[in-house]
Amino acid sequence: MKDFVHFNAYTVDEAAALLNRYGGNAGIIAGGTDLLGKMKDRVLPSYPEALINIKTIPGLDAIEEKDGGLSIGALVTLSRLAEHSTVRSKYTALFEAAGRTASPHLRNMGTIAGNLCQDIRCWYYRSPQNRFSCLRKGGGRCYAIKGDNRYHSIFGGSVKGGCIAVHPSDTAPALIVLNGKIVTSKRTIPAADFFNVGVHRTTALENDEIVTAIHLPEPASKTRSAFMKFALRKSIDFPIVNCAAAITFEGKTVTHARICLNAVSVVPRAAVKAEQVLIGSILDEKSAEEAGKAAVADAEPMEGNAYMVQVARTLVKRTVLSCATSPEVDPK
Amino acid sequence: MAEPNIKDYSCPHCENRFDSLEKMKAHMLSDHRGGRLPLPEGRVSMNINGKKYALDVKPSWTLYYLIHDHLGLTGAKQFCDRGACGSCTVIMEGKPVLSCMILAVECDGKIIETVEGIADAGHPLIDSYVKHHAMQCGYCTPGFVTTSKALLDGNPEPTEREIKTALSGNLCRCGTYPQHTIAVMEAAENLKAKKR
Repeated sequence: MKDFVHFNAYTVDEAAALLNRYGGNAGIIAGGTDLLGKMKDRVLPSYPEALINIKTIPGLDAIEEKDGGLSIGALVTLSRLAEHSTVRSKYTALFEAAGRTASPHLRNMGTIAGNLCQDIRCWYYRSPQNRFSCLRKGGGRCYAIKGDNRYHSIFGGSVKGGCIAVHPSDTAPALIVLNGKIVTSKRTIPAADFFNVGVHRTTALENDEIVTAIHLPEPASKTRSAFMKFALRKSIDFPIVNCAAAITFEGKTVTHARICLNAVSVVPRAAVKAEQVLIGSILDEKSAEEAGKAAVADAEPMEGNAYMVQVARTLVKRTVLSCATSPEVDPK
Repeated sequence: MAEPNIKDYSCPHCENRFDSLEKMKAHMLSDHRGGRLPLPEGRVSMNINGKKYALDVKPSWTLYYLIHDHLGLTGAKQFCDRGACGSCTVIMEGKPVLSCMILAVECDGKIIETVEGIADAGHPLIDSYVKHHAMQCGYCTPGFVTTSKALLDGNPEPTEREIKTALSGNLCRCGTYPQHTIAVMEAAENLKAKKR
């Protein structure tokens, strides 16, 4: 790797001040599993002048139960989430999502905040030596639209209507259906509003803003959540489609439903129409099937990714059905 | 000789600039509470295979580069160099991690174990890997052994499923996968017998 300046930050303010000092030319490093790959491949036209290590900031690696909810520090690794008993019992979707992300080694390194802030995986964007100056890098066109788009958006593009790269996070849809809130050094953002696509941008974070924690509220009683992922391999792979759902029951009737797909669109996509289908109905094979259809009713696949529509439809169906039978949580 | 006329002082903690030594001292006492001065840039100390090291590293060095190229512990192998294959696995603070995706400069104070340390300690994994021939070309093997060692440390009686899950981040293009569960199971047995 090309040289850069390295700082160990000891407070969030110090890290933010360093980001400020370097303008847009510094990066935050925690797990590093996404960032270092980008730097080794020289993916971007620019190379960070400085990296600011936030692993040295005390207090950002705690999982605390607070006011019935859960506060997860930005530095909590995915493997800790995938072993945590409260996450398992109350926030099953997040538990399953964290346990299905990447490989065991990467889960020991990668953090929850890093999983949310990671960059896109589009192979044109990630091509070494900045080979394709695409829309997302401030260039003139999206190479995936006419190129190989088998893992790209089935719900249209961003950035001037182009850029059909999908958001690759597994934990993002889980946090969205669990009504999570992202706490940063400046504000608190609902997980659903956290993702915002632009040139060199996947989140709503400002240049000197740092994620410090994720807050999950206490789930409503009789709520079950689940997460499912479709990928080519069971381990390591990024999702081709993933889906999280949180469903609240009264008797057998669904009173509240949150369903979110990811890796199908430029940002995690709440399946609002599927939620509307389920609310008020009894969750069974038939209503789940209808929810799946509704979730992809407005899909506009590209030449190479029509199969993803089918995968997304089935995944929505299976995920909501597994909320009905989820062994992890017994309805109170 | 005349006193040097220095008008530019930079705080060793945060690099804020001051035009006099007194101002910088006041800043260091109030903002950094007179805390210990930071170590020289790039100085790290770590414990590798039970041996203590104090090293000067460059920010761009990965942990892999440090232990393999600089310290000569050539067990860990570089293959993908992108965190996708598991060949460079080392155990850091008891957990298997990928040394190619960790900056050496961020490993200050860490306890690290490599396949050399596992072999030197006479861990039963080495014999059972040889006995069951859990390798062909052998390039990925150190990564598998370190991952298995970390598994056995935390779980002395793993099931076949647990072994497969733990090793799911290690790739072997020779396709020796079935042998690993057999070898790890036997090593677990031998480890138990050894402790008795």
